[in-house]
Amino acid sequence: MAIKIRMRGKSKGGVAEVKALIKHPMESGVRMNKKTGKPFPAKFIDTVTVTVNGAAAVDSQWSGAVSANPYMAIKVNANSGDEVKLSLTDNTGAAGEASLKLK
Amino acid sequence: MKRRSFLKGTLATGAAAVAVNAGLLTPSTVLAEWNKAAFSAKSTDDALNGVFGSSATAASGDIKLKAPAIAENGAVTPVTVDATAMSGVESIAILASKNPIPLVCTYAFAGSAIGYASTRIKMGETMNVIAVVKAGGKLFKAEQEVKVTIGGCGG
Repeated sequence: MAIKIRMRGKSKGGVAEVKALIKHPMESGVRMNKKTGKPFPAKFIDTVTVTVNGAAAVDSQWSGAVSANPYMAIKVNANSGDEVKLSLTDNTGAAGEASLKLK
Repeated sequence: MKRRSFLKGTLATGAAAVAVNAGLLTPSTVLAEWNKAAFSAKSTDDALNGVFGSSATAASGDIKLKAPAIAENGAVTPVTVDATAMSGVESIAILASKNPIPLVCTYAFAGSAIGYASTRIKMGETMNVIAVVKAGGKLFKAEQEVKVTIGGCGG
């Protein structure tokens, strides 16, 4: 199932702040299920990449210690109209993708 | 806040710390399928060695680390690392010193990216948030203590 991502970005004076909210449980794999005595299986986003107009900008790796439904914000040198694309995968292979044109 | 719902709502953190302390779990076996040495390291130094190949860092005032002094809910601690005052920033790593796996996330920058990252992290107890920035081949760090008030009120 595709991972849902909400993205916003606005360029101001050549610098754009891109924000993203991702819907994901971010289960670290160490939290215990009290009923069964076993840990909940790990399911967390491990790689996030951001490109600007097709060129790599940010390459990020996460552990299960990033909060559930992660928020992330980064800054790039970009002008309004530039296309920013965010793609991510989790440790189970699920993937998500979102893109936007900067305001 | 009701204790039961709070425990249910707290992801990983509290339960994880207890489990590790009791020797029930070892983080490395839990995350075995993920082959990143750095993300299974149990100490901040090991994690830094895994990410940057070195754990020798110098404190820098140019890194702006924004984190709350007191986090009411350790499962959602906002952290912002702003290294835009530095030149040649290559990457940023965010660590939580006492988490079972200290390394939380890394950001590598290329092309048009600027040394800035903001995220929300889980913390099991009161500890230091450490931001390590690699700029011009050297490692710089900024550190801040965040008090986690488990139980909800006061601290």
